[in-house]
Amino acid sequence: MIIDLKNVNKSYPGAVPLHVLKDVNLQIDKGELVAIMGASGSGKSTLLNILGILDNYDSGEYHLNGILIRNLTENKAADLRNYLIGFVFQSFNLINYKNALENVALPLFYRGISRKKRNALAMEQLERMGMADRATHLPGELSGGQKQRVAIARALITNPSIILADEPTGALDSKTSKEVMEVFRQLNNEGRTIVIVTHDPGVGEQTNRIIRISDGRIVTPDTTVTSQPSIVTSNNPQ
Amino acid sequence: MTDLINEILATLRHNKLRTALTGFAVSWGIFLLIVLLSVSEGLLNGMESMFSQRDTESMTIEGGWTHKPYKGLTDNRQITLRERDIDIIRNRNSNVVTRITADIRNDSATISTGKDYVTGGYQGVYPSALKSDGATIMEGRFINDNDINRDRRVIVLHKDNARNLFGKKYPIGELVKMNGLTFTVVGVYNHEWNTRSYIPYTTARNLTGGSDKVKRITVGVDNLKNVEEGTAAEQSFYSTLGNEHQFDSSDESALHIWNRFNQYLKQSSAMGALGIAIWIIGMLTMLSGIVGVSNIMFVSVRERTHEIGVRRAIGARPLSILKQVILESVAITTLFGYIGIVAGVIIAQGISVITRDMPFIKDPSVNITIAIQVTVVLIIAGALAGLFPALKSLKIKPVEALRDE
Repeated sequence: MIIDLKNVNKSYPGAVPLHVLKDVNLQIDKGELVAIMGASGSGKSTLLNILGILDNYDSGEYHLNGILIRNLTENKAADLRNYLIGFVFQSFNLINYKNALENVALPLFYRGISRKKRNALAMEQLERMGMADRATHLPGELSGGQKQRVAIARALITNPSIILADEPTGALDSKTSKEVMEVFRQLNNEGRTIVIVTHDPGVGEQTNRIIRISDGRIVTPDTTVTSQPSIVTSNNPQ
Repeated sequence: MTDLINEILATLRHNKLRTALTGFAVSWGIFLLIVLLSVSEGLLNGMESMFSQRDTESMTIEGGWTHKPYKGLTDNRQITLRERDIDIIRNRNSNVVTRITADIRNDSATISTGKDYVTGGYQGVYPSALKSDGATIMEGRFINDNDINRDRRVIVLHKDNARNLFGKKYPIGELVKMNGLTFTVVGVYNHEWNTRSYIPYTTARNLTGGSDKVKRITVGVDNLKNVEEGTAAEQSFYSTLGNEHQFDSSDESALHIWNRFNQYLKQSSAMGALGIAIWIIGMLTMLSGIVGVSNIMFVSVRERTHEIGVRRAIGARPLSILKQVILESVAITTLFGYIGIVAGVIIAQGISVITRDMPFIKDPSVNITIAIQVTVVLIIAGALAGLFPALKSLKIKPVEALRDE
């Protein structure tokens, strides 16, 4: 099991404390392609933050790749993110004054790998994404789909245990979205564990399992797309 | 390290105009600091070179006029130093006096050989005059004790006079004529502005008719350490001679004492204070530059909150972000600082050319010590400028990466 959440709670303090995640239990196995779906405000972003070791939780247990993620120092959290998780973001989050190759190589910079070696590895990843000819282009010179391919290459370069994608198609048109989803499916076929957070049922459709979250709770912990077609169509204006 | 430099250069390129504007403030501050420091260096060099031709550990005593009545004696009496005062001063102040010389001067005497002659006068002295006058022997020897005791007719010539009289550099053993007497040249000396020929004191006294009047006594005080000791020694000379010549030891006009020791110390400390003042002015000017750098680093950190969040999300440790911000600040400060240094050095060279003929300022250049000091200042200033923005950058959480821009 790559991801194992047991009774995880999270609330944000305030005049009226906001209980965002309520006793969340979630297991994801190696090699799964999973979508976490929910309306905005459902707590899916918070769940993603916790899964990505970007935020802490209040109680419960979260094991990532067998490692208990709790009360980590900033350095330890940074290292675990670097080694275990590959992030893909909605707005790509490429550094706009670095070219595609440098962006892909950046995670290895923080591992202290030499420039020559990490550029070679980055080139390899760009080739896999069919982006080798755009290696020296700045993000501003790339289309949305190309940017997301670069971002996926960046997520893959560290050979992470899990890829966490936050609305990876949110900024893309439907054709490009399909292409990007195709990339994810292909990576999954190669054995990658991929968790996609989305509110787009079209994206959810293309995963093997949908985890629905509503009001801070996992609603249907073990539904597959095919067994719940009604929910998919009800939210889908397309 | 190369990677870090590349990272920094990339971000600097990203904000060219802003970096350049702030950089100008730093350049200007360093430029002023360099110019001021080089001018103060020039003043210091000028002072050093003036004092190097002069014995700074001596005092010269001359007789004056009394301005106070003393033990029933009226004021306005002339005090004339006598030869016996030399021994009196030495014996009663043996704790401070390390050497003593008196001199008799004649500025109109002509020195001649069969072929040629020079004017410029002579100076009858004791052996310690060599040090008191700040002269150096180039060849042969100076006046010694035997010359004094035996009233020898020996002479030490300035190098220019030696060449003019004999056409050769070192005419040791040659004879010259002065006041109708023949002198043997025993040495050649060098001095920047004094060209009088040195002869034994006793010989000079015989030339002037054997009077025991002494125009000037120069006392060596090589063991004094500070201004207080210098003043005490001066006071002690007043009271010694006051006893001997019957005047009030607080009557400052009775003697003229040129306390070169104290004068040197005071000028040195004044120069030291000038140096400190220039550093303070330079630093304050720099400060505005530093505040500017600090300010753009704050803006930069703020603008790049999202980027820093992304970097954190993909595995950057907080320390590497801190390091990057501080080094970026140091890079900006040092880069523009060096532009200021180069401009400052060019101006300092210009000042050097313009003030070539002024005696009070000499070689106003930027030496390696100043360059190193300024470099250290730049690096510290840059690090300080980057410190607070860097601490702010530490507060940026990796969650920022997920926030939409």
